[in-house]
Amino acid sequence: MKRSSFSIFFVYVALLFSFALMGGCASGKTKHATSVVDYLFPKTKDPIVTPGIPVLTLPLRVGIAFVPSASGMDMRSGRTSTGFTPFQGGGELALTEKRKTDLMLEVALNFKKYAFVKNIELIPSAYLTPGGSFANLDQIRTMLELDVIVLLSYDQVQFTDQTLNFTYWTMNGPLIVPAQKNDTHTMLDAVVYDISSRKMLFRAPGTSLVNGESMLVDQSQEIRADADRGFSEAAQSMIINLDGQLAQFKEKLKERPEEYKVVRSESYLLRIGGGGGGGSVDIVMLIMLIGLGVYFLWNKRHP
Amino acid sequence: MEQKAPLTASKLPLWTLATAFFAVLIFVFPQLGVQLVYDRAAIIHGEIWRLFSGNFVHFSLAHLCYNLAAWFITGSIIELRGYRFFPALCLLSSIIIGMIIFMLAPELNLYAGLSGIVSSAVTYLCLHGIGEKGIWRWLCSGMLAGLIAKTVIEMVTGSSMMLLMSEENFVPVPLSHLAGIVTAFIFFVFLRMSSYFRHYSR
Repeated sequence: MKRSSFSIFFVYVALLFSFALMGGCASGKTKHATSVVDYLFPKTKDPIVTPGIPVLTLPLRVGIAFVPSASGMDMRSGRTSTGFTPFQGGGELALTEKRKTDLMLEVALNFKKYAFVKNIELIPSAYLTPGGSFANLDQIRTMLELDVIVLLSYDQVQFTDQTLNFTYWTMNGPLIVPAQKNDTHTMLDAVVYDISSRKMLFRAPGTSLVNGESMLVDQSQEIRADADRGFSEAAQSMIINLDGQLAQFKEKLKERPEEYKVVRSESYLLRIGGGGGGGSVDIVMLIMLIGLGVYFLWNKRHP
Repeated sequence: MEQKAPLTASKLPLWTLATAFFAVLIFVFPQLGVQLVYDRAAIIHGEIWRLFSGNFVHFSLAHLCYNLAAWFITGSIIELRGYRFFPALCLLSSIIIGMIIFMLAPELNLYAGLSGIVSSAVTYLCLHGIGEKGIWRWLCSGMLAGLIAKTVIEMVTGSSMMLLMSEENFVPVPLSHLAGIVTAFIFFVFLRMSSYFRHYSR
């Protein structure tokens, strides 16, 4: 190889590495978020909603819904993107209606184990108007006959950094394939409200961090998968926290009866046997009776 | 047991099955249970049938199953052996159990369960069995002694030692067992005395 040819080749390789390094500087952020505050207190600088004393009539009829994006914005405008976001189509809609239903179902299944829950309604997004506030909740309460609603909101941020490049040597020279490092931070938040008194009973967040890597060619697919995984993990974390917060809330009910009124309906008491007495056969009595019964049958066959 | 069954013995324990069916029916239709459960406040307001019907209501499937298992064994033996006045004993004990709980356990707002009547039936079975011969007599004696001892211990400690349903959210009521046992004793003695006087008068 001649000296000039070697120089040209060296410059070529150096340029390629430079481009690769330049690529490492590029980064992007995609954010999807909804907010319970925006939904319940829209365009209100000083929200004055005086909560009353909640009267919780057990068993409760519970609704679960995802709050919509802020007033005047649809799902897509609720998304903000900055910086380098090549082939970002996959991450545009953070949560589809089906995915929302799946997540609500996970929460509902967890709530169903409690005897104080009579039934759970999964409320589609179409029922909630952006910035609908308590007036919208009152409509839903009337329509679906609910006592309590679990409002779910989310905040998902995906960072994309082009830091890793893969170099392949081909017959025609080096081929540099830019690669991405994707971080997905997700937070799901559940706020439980007594609709009629407008009082928040308790809340529980769930968080998740997914670290992923992808090549440019399948970046949108990877980002979508990371977003989905982020929501799943955050939902699991939120459900665990919901159980904990619920236990704390039960203690609060006992400690501060003046703040919450709990009415146990007769059917509920019957269902849980709470505060009541049960005439029940114990193991000693049952074993003795089985012995007596076995002897009776044996004696009947062998008189 | 070595004695032959009396002529009144039936081939099928119909009363036992009918009672069990009634208990299952109430359990299957919870709204019926709401109307029939022993509810102190409702009884005070005049719904006195709850004193009687509360015995046939159950709080959970496990509660129902354990009580029905004991009921099937006891009731079947009594009916197949042909011990008379068993339905009368059941009706009487169910009323007396409700009344005893109402008078002596004012802290109980709700009460449900067949075990009081089961205790009454077991006592009745054993008292009859003691009058017979052979192993059956000794088995019935042991059973009755065990039942009384167990109930006394429950009354003293205030709880059941070996409750099958440890996860249940209700307190056991040994008073109902005691009421059932005492009712069966009185009923049995009354029957024997009336039989004796009838025989004596002839």
